[in-house]
Amino acid sequence: MKLIIDESRCKGCNLCTLVCPYNIFQEGSKLNEKGIVVPSLDRPGRCTNCRLQKLYQRRLCGVCQLICPDQAIHWVEEEPYEPLGVVIEF
Amino acid sequence: MQGNIACAEGALAAGCNFFGGYPITPSTEVAEHMAKKMPKMGRTFIQMEDEIASISSVIGASWTGAKAMTATSGPGFSLMMENIGYAVMTETPCVIVNIQRGGPSTGQPTMSAQGDMMQCRFGSHGDFSIIALTPSTVQEMFELTVRAFNLAERFRCPVFLMSDETIGHMRERIVIPEIVETKNRKPLEKGKLPFEADSDLIPGFPVFGEGHRVHVTGLTHNAKGYPDTTNHKIHSDLVKRLVEKVESKRHEIADYDILNNDAEIVFLTYGPATRTVRQIIKDRPDLHIGHINLRIVWPFPEEVLSEFKSAKVFIIPEMNLGQISREAARHTNVPVLSLPKLGGEMHNPKELLLAMEEYL
Amino acid sequence: MTPSLEEWYRQERMPHIFCTGCGNGTVINCTLNAVVEMGWEIDNTIFISGIGCSSRAPGYVATDSLHTTHGRALAFATGVKMARPEFNVVVFTGDGDLSAIGGNHFIHACRRNIDMTVICMNNMIYGMTGGQGSPCTPVGAISTTTPYGAGEPVFDLAELAVAAGANYSARWTTYHVKELTKAIKAGMETPGLSFIEAMTQCPTSFGRKNRQRQPSDMIEHMKNHSILLSKKKRLEEEGKSVPDDTFAVGEFARRNRPAMGVYKK
Repeated sequence: MKLIIDESRCKGCNLCTLVCPYNIFQEGSKLNEKGIVVPSLDRPGRCTNCRLQKLYQRRLCGVCQLICPDQAIHWVEEEPYEPLGVVIEF
Repeated sequence: MQGNIACAEGALAAGCNFFGGYPITPSTEVAEHMAKKMPKMGRTFIQMEDEIASISSVIGASWTGAKAMTATSGPGFSLMMENIGYAVMTETPCVIVNIQRGGPSTGQPTMSAQGDMMQCRFGSHGDFSIIALTPSTVQEMFELTVRAFNLAERFRCPVFLMSDETIGHMRERIVIPEIVETKNRKPLEKGKLPFEADSDLIPGFPVFGEGHRVHVTGLTHNAKGYPDTTNHKIHSDLVKRLVEKVESKRHEIADYDILNNDAEIVFLTYGPATRTVRQIIKDRPDLHIGHINLRIVWPFPEEVLSEFKSAKVFIIPEMNLGQISREAARHTNVPVLSLPKLGGEMHNPKELLLAMEEYL
Repeated sequence: MTPSLEEWYRQERMPHIFCTGCGNGTVINCTLNAVVEMGWEIDNTIFISGIGCSSRAPGYVATDSLHTTHGRALAFATGVKMARPEFNVVVFTGDGDLSAIGGNHFIHACRRNIDMTVICMNNMIYGMTGGQGSPCTPVGAISTTTPYGAGEPVFDLAELAVAAGANYSARWTTYHVKELTKAIKAGMETPGLSFIEAMTQCPTSFGRKNRQRQPSDMIEHMKNHSILLSKKKRLEEEGKSVPDDTFAVGEFARRNRPAMGVYKK
């Protein structure tokens, strides 16, 4: 699975940067066309849900999606699916 | 049967299956009778914490498809004003019974008046149109309550039964028909938007829970039902339609009796004063008196005035300081004589005869 | 097949009108996650609200929804639920809507214990009208109608619901998203009235005037000033003082008083 921020919805409140246990969400630096600084993703492959949702068949963690007031955070299918595609850092 | 009980029986016959009320003299018997009857019929009666909650629960219930009603009097009616506007804006069918008493404020709880006639028409903020019925007998309490439900279902607007303490607490023999004609609201057709009006200016009703997924709001909304509060065209089109859907049908809605349309002196009455005029006509056949009895006051059927070609004066006895007299005067060049009476007693024949003398 | 989380949102209405960093969106997320976990049907659920920021929320939920007049949401919901008990009724409301203008309806809905879920987004201010003081504005906080600091004591809504008779009452914040979701689900499972108070941040109207300009400042503040109800009780039992500027979070009541409008299959 792949973590994405929907730029058409994000209002740049940065609450996701506060809650991610892996600090995947970083405060962004560039204005997008709507004039909003959307957070950037730092190695989103580390996200638990990205790695293990397929295995457990349910959403894991997901705090960023829950707290995002603008419903901008989603996971989409990644093709091809590579369960061991990332090195996990702890 | 008592007038208030007849009203409750009329509601039950019309298929009323939700009543939200709050006790207030002189309308309490309506709620009491509903409380007694409705649970046994598998219908919902609930006594709310105030009149604001009563009308709110009625509107909520109406959106689930229920035929809903509440009954109150002056002070409670004042509290309901905000949500009457909400019912207008959201086009919610509902019936509001107002057994009028002396006002302003707490006034005369046990005495009769007709002081809320303008309040029901204009009391809530903004421009709108409603339908108001005025019974003058206990039989009409029954019949007009049924009609109130049918009109509410058809026009999707609040319909008022504007009675008063006199008729509400009067006891008369009535005939309850075996079959009562009832109407149901037009359902929303599949594929149509929830607030998209048909050619009759009334949209189909999307009952909650049937998959229409409608958003109902008191904000100015578009045909989908979504708020759109800054577009002047959407707002003006919506408000004009809410008014027009009733006003354009006012000749069809109108309900009145006419007697002696060639008379020179014409009484225009609604509610208890009708009874006084009828008494005069019975007692004094020597006087050629014209009479209009309105059973529906709002929308005002102005065409009735022009039926009296030789009228020299319209005399309008009311238990307020001339609220409907003013409306009538707006529509005719013939002098209008207002005969107000406050204090809680209905007009007696002597007063009316005295007032006529000048024009004999 | 129960509808997915995405289907519960009225996607055509998004993005919503809430300001950047407003907690109301978070509360909607938590509510809809709880609804999905409950396995409710979209066409059998009604969302109702009054007036205010919080009350715009049902407009973004795909169910039939009723956006009513100020403070009256619970009275409308009573009508809906009593007329059709088979519906699942959820009420979104705000602190001003619920405790000021709708205070009477609130205590009576709790007293009747009507089977519905009431979620109060308590942002401690009237956000929609530009930041006036509400009955939940903390003492000392600046708002446009309390320019020298609010002086009136505040309502403890969760305790009020308990006192008035609700079957379930809990308070969490928009920081405690998992707990909030669980509490909303527990409330939905409990017959009778369930009250969940979600403390939310209002960076635009509240934070801006109270030195918490960033959404994260307000979240951090709520995180640091919330104290678990069990911990608070323990401190009190031990005779230790509970800091004045904290508020309790947790489950205030879960009980089985007689309830109205419970649907019997």
